[in-house]
Amino acid sequence: MTAGASRDFGLDEWVCVAMARTIRDGEIVFHGFGSPCATIAMHVAKRTHAPRMVLVEGSTYALDPDPAFVPPTSNDWAIMRRATHVLKFEELFDLAARGGLDRMFLSGAQIDAHGNTNVTAIGPIDAPKVKLGGGGGGCNMSATVGSLSLWNTRHRSGRALVDRCDFITDLGWVTPEGTRAELGFPGGGPQWLVTELAVMDFVDGRARLRHVFPDVTVEDVRRVTGFELAAAEPLAPLPLPDPAEIALVRRLDPLGIRRREFGDAELARRFRWGDGSGGCAACF
Amino acid sequence: MGAYTEPDKVRSLTDAAALVADGDTVAVGGALSAREPMALVRELIRQGRRNLHLVGSAHGIDVDLLVGAGAASVVEESYVGFEQDFGLAPAYRRAAESGRITLRESCCYTILQQLRAAEYGLPFLPVRGIIGTGIAGLHPEYREIECPFTGVPLVAVPALAPDVALIHALAADRRGNVHLARPLVLDERFTFASKKVVVTVERIASEAEVAAAGVVLPYFAVTAVVEAPHGAHPTSCYPHYAYDRRHLAEWVTAAATDEGIAGYLDRYVHGPGTEEGYLKVVGEERLEELTRWSESDQRWQELLS
Repeated sequence: MTAGASRDFGLDEWVCVAMARTIRDGEIVFHGFGSPCATIAMHVAKRTHAPRMVLVEGSTYALDPDPAFVPPTSNDWAIMRRATHVLKFEELFDLAARGGLDRMFLSGAQIDAHGNTNVTAIGPIDAPKVKLGGGGGGCNMSATVGSLSLWNTRHRSGRALVDRCDFITDLGWVTPEGTRAELGFPGGGPQWLVTELAVMDFVDGRARLRHVFPDVTVEDVRRVTGFELAAAEPLAPLPLPDPAEIALVRRLDPLGIRRREFGDAELARRFRWGDGSGGCAACF
Repeated sequence: MGAYTEPDKVRSLTDAAALVADGDTVAVGGALSAREPMALVRELIRQGRRNLHLVGSAHGIDVDLLVGAGAASVVEESYVGFEQDFGLAPAYRRAAESGRITLRESCCYTILQQLRAAEYGLPFLPVRGIIGTGIAGLHPEYREIECPFTGVPLVAVPALAPDVALIHALAADRRGNVHLARPLVLDERFTFASKKVVVTVERIASEAEVAAAGVVLPYFAVTAVVEAPHGAHPTSCYPHYAYDRRHLAEWVTAAATDEGIAGYLDRYVHGPGTEEGYLKVVGEERLEELTRWSESDQRWQELLS
């Protein structure tokens, strides 16, 4: 099991693997459109530690496909290749509404300590500084999906993990109008938050540091995080990816679509497997 | 919705687009980079349509072009953009930031349930979520309600019956039976919820042929059919053709400025004057190239890179 001839791998590849490890075997998992890292993570999980996972592609709703490559748009037949079936829009969203979808990947230009995300606008909504694309299905789905795996690849900017989202598009654990329980939402809320610097889980409805990447310190993470970030004790190192997982990332994404989620400085980050070491593909 | 029973619904693109009036609520079919009714979008712009209220799920160049051309004044979509492919939708973004359009950003399931309420003949349907998010503030028409059985808080979203649905499909017969390939996105729901349904198709086919391929939208719900080969270009219409990334890149670059939009419209919409003219500007060679995605995975990958 080698990742080609190389003994090293990139940050972008590792983030996909870290996201893959938030998936448990047997879960029904979905990602939204415009989410190459999540697509790749799901295919890696399905082909390693979660073979019984039910993989539903974003925007085509293709079930367990075997794409030759990840296309630059999520609504393309390329991602549907060899799918068992293609669900209807209604079938996927009804499944989520009745609590039948176990996990969804969600991102945001802004994410707060409670895992609320903003994909709608930066600045006031009546005169936005930046109008973002919008949330797709996240606003309703975040209320009912079993668990949410969040990710963000611009943590270092200092503008991504914020004290307060300018606009809440998708629901975290606590909103200004109350907690998930108070609002009667049956979904389980954010469980993981993976960034290019760290992996966080959620305790009592707040993000908590679980692992940092080996070239990053806890101080680095806290400096660019807009809210108080507790850390697990002891803070375990982020388990290395298995060479087989990295090889899968490369095979699935020959066009490097995942790389578009990262800034150039992050893409330059490389890591090496030590002699004889290598992680074991498993969920966190 | 009345039943549309004329034996021959084939119309010119000009006549079909005229079924859309200024100020109409328009459901735009397809999604993102696939099967968007672009021939109709271009024709509406040529006809100078104004103040459209666009509704739908996740969209790309269709909505961005209508907004850029000044044809839309209200946008009620769940997303408008070009994913990780080309990022934010430049025309939509600028119009939203400068207040030239009214933002009614919505969510896929909310839109679905609003269309279903119209289909079911009900005034509303309840959904979960929304409470606690900013989306609620964009929709004074929603109402927070309490479930009469469990007391759980829910959001009542009103029935949505668009004035017109615009859909691009693979084939239809002259009576208006339509064959579509998955993903259907909201096209079936749009068809049954909307007052009028205008469908462009790659090809008008015989009733037997459409029946054999599979009728997805039945004739009685369809108002007009237009033969518009490559009518989804630059979005894809599989299995006929992949999307035209190069063209989308050209639009995204042009749409960064108002002058750029004017230049694009002049080159591709107003200048050619018709869809035949548009396809000539795009070029036969390019159109042919986009049909060759199925030759091999390698070929497909090259087209999309």
